[in-house]
Amino acid sequence: MLEVIDCQIEAKTWCITLPDIQVHKGELLVVTGPSGIGKSTLLHWLLGNNPQHVSIKGQIILSGANITDLPIEQRQVGLLMQDVLLFPHLDVQDNICFALPKSQQLSSKKQRRAAAMDLLEQINLAHLAVRYPQNLSGGERSRVGLIRALANQPQVMLLDEPFAALDPNTRQQMGAWAFQQLAQQDIPSVMVSHDVEDIPVSAQQLCLADYYHVLESNNQ
Amino acid sequence: MATKVRRLGLVCGWSLVAGISMLPILGIVVGLWPQEPLTFAGFESFLGYQGLTTSIVMTLLTAILSSLISLYIAFVVYSQYHLSQRLQSFEKYLAPLLSMPHLAIAIGLVFLFSDGSIFFVDSGLPRKGLATLTLTIVIKEVPFFLLIFSALGRQLPIKNWLLQGKALGYQAYRCWWFLVFPPLLKQSRLALLAATAYTLSVVDVSLLVGPNIPELFAVSVYRWQTSFADGDQVLGFWSNVLLLLLLVVSVSLLYAHEKLAFAGCKSLATQGRRFLVGRISPIFKAWIPLSGVLTALMILVFVLWSLGYDWHSSRPSFSQLSTVLWRDEWLFFALPLQNSLLIAGLAGLLGVALALLALELQRQRGQYWPDYYWLLAIILPQLSMVLGWQILHIWLQGGYHSGWIVLSHLPFTFAYGYLVLKGPFQNVDERYELLAASFGYSLWQSWWLVRFRLLLPAIFTGLAIAFSVSVAQYIPTIMIGAGRVTTITTEAVVIGTGSQQNLIALYVLLQSILPFMAFFIAALLARRFRGSVGG
Repeated sequence: MLEVIDCQIEAKTWCITLPDIQVHKGELLVVTGPSGIGKSTLLHWLLGNNPQHVSIKGQIILSGANITDLPIEQRQVGLLMQDVLLFPHLDVQDNICFALPKSQQLSSKKQRRAAAMDLLEQINLAHLAVRYPQNLSGGERSRVGLIRALANQPQVMLLDEPFAALDPNTRQQMGAWAFQQLAQQDIPSVMVSHDVEDIPVSAQQLCLADYYHVLESNNQ
Repeated sequence: MATKVRRLGLVCGWSLVAGISMLPILGIVVGLWPQEPLTFAGFESFLGYQGLTTSIVMTLLTAILSSLISLYIAFVVYSQYHLSQRLQSFEKYLAPLLSMPHLAIAIGLVFLFSDGSIFFVDSGLPRKGLATLTLTIVIKEVPFFLLIFSALGRQLPIKNWLLQGKALGYQAYRCWWFLVFPPLLKQSRLALLAATAYTLSVVDVSLLVGPNIPELFAVSVYRWQTSFADGDQVLGFWSNVLLLLLLVVSVSLLYAHEKLAFAGCKSLATQGRRFLVGRISPIFKAWIPLSGVLTALMILVFVLWSLGYDWHSSRPSFSQLSTVLWRDEWLFFALPLQNSLLIAGLAGLLGVALALLALELQRQRGQYWPDYYWLLAIILPQLSMVLGWQILHIWLQGGYHSGWIVLSHLPFTFAYGYLVLKGPFQNVDERYELLAASFGYSLWQSWWLVRFRLLLPAIFTGLAIAFSVSVAQYIPTIMIGAGRVTTITTEAVVIGTGSQQNLIALYVLLQSILPFMAFFIAALLARRFRGSVGG
């Protein structure tokens, strides 16, 4: 479970004081609000990439552990962005190998490649294994991006407008497929979106605009 | 503890790159320190030196004109390839053209077109003269400017500018001159200055194909600086001061040219006048193929000469070809060849590694320093800085070995490495490393596994260029090594001033093969490692 406690986003002229948040396993929280209000900033703070133009205070508790001050590489947080950013120098299989966690069962290159292939077979994308990202369609890239993020066995998944670059048809299919995958793996997820059509009915919603206020010193 | 180690690493890294990039300034400052007491009589004898004014005017004109001619030709060639949607195709032909050293082009032109050439026709190109020198510089610098334009073209929204211009009813060639040329000229300032500074202080090429009476100023400077005759050190000092003044004059002239070009383009754009350049520019599409043919012809002639083919025999025949000269000379060129490989390999590798370090340190700091700071080695006259290094080297009593030569080549390989790598380095999306961190990779692992791997094709190109730059260094090698560390280039210059055509051909061929091999291997490796972000 992901918990966010006493979170406050503060810029020079405005401030957002969030209520405490809990996202249980398999649940999805969608953060909404107008452009520039700090949706992606909040997501990046959860990731551990602290923004420079605003200050964020609060605590992030993941599966009972306080990860607020941990560096990104120790958080076990998955990330999927609008631009999937598959590594262009690696083919699909190696992109997934790159994300697999280090363990005794996955210590050799052969074992890692086999594990990556298994993941691709599970979603019927084995035929893409040796292709490079430049040769994939938008939908294929998104699918591979999600599988790569899941390959790392994250404890929470962060999605930053992940389907915004796709055409409406692919977008709908990809959305349904992605949320199904996340629910199946019991991963709590936080998604930033400003498109209502992307939000599944079962998701919790947090509209940042509801908690936004202009700082007093600015009013004077 | 980890923070302390990191801080120490940062301090060491900054000291290292700052030290290398400041070596040119150190050289200039030490070089300006008079070795003998300065007297008015010494200054007077310098001013009264016969042919000094002509020599200075010739040098300045050659430096400015050859750089500007190269820039304009490169711009027109670039526009033609851009217009015909064949941008990719021209970039891959640049490597072999860039790899050809100045010296080889100069000798190649003489072998092909001067009096007694293989065509048995005197084309009018003098064996030694300003025309041959200017042509050599232009042939060599056009691919350099094309490389710069191609890198700039990736950063500037040229396609959108052209689209806007055409939507407003202008023809494509006019859009190029009115909309693309001014910003491209402004962004190419450093490259233009580098080309001018090179010609201002070039010695090896001037010795071989430059005019004799009077000789170009750089040759006089070099002669005085390396002479032990009475009074020559004073002449060397004042000539060094004047060389730096010439650089200042060149900067002013290039700036004036830029302002004039801007005003010209603006005036033509607002008055809607026609001008001829756009109409004749399609001819320049042939520049790259012609340069390729010329380079191939030069190599062929060098090979045939070195194999003993006698062009002037009454019955020239391929049956005369033999490897006698190669076998006889092997003993003499083996060591210089080995030195060239070793020095260029090390200087190239270190230069590129330091350029990467400088870029990474700036990225971590969140601010990039101005380019001219890092490129000082190629925008200041080489003769002036090497003179200072020579004085320091003698003062340190360091002896004469390849290590010092590598160090003297390092500022140049570093500067070229930086020039080639900066664009691709800044083009790597920071989010790739963020993603790698989200998969549990540390800062260093993310850098090595993602950024470095993405940059590999550009790094290989940078290595090939840095290697070629080091192979072609004459002044630092001869002045710091005092002639005791010989390379293929120092040998080629010595032999080139003689008259044994077959021997000249052999050494110039060897000098051309080294960078060509470096570019060839770099191209193969770049293909092997996919995922280029430029370069």
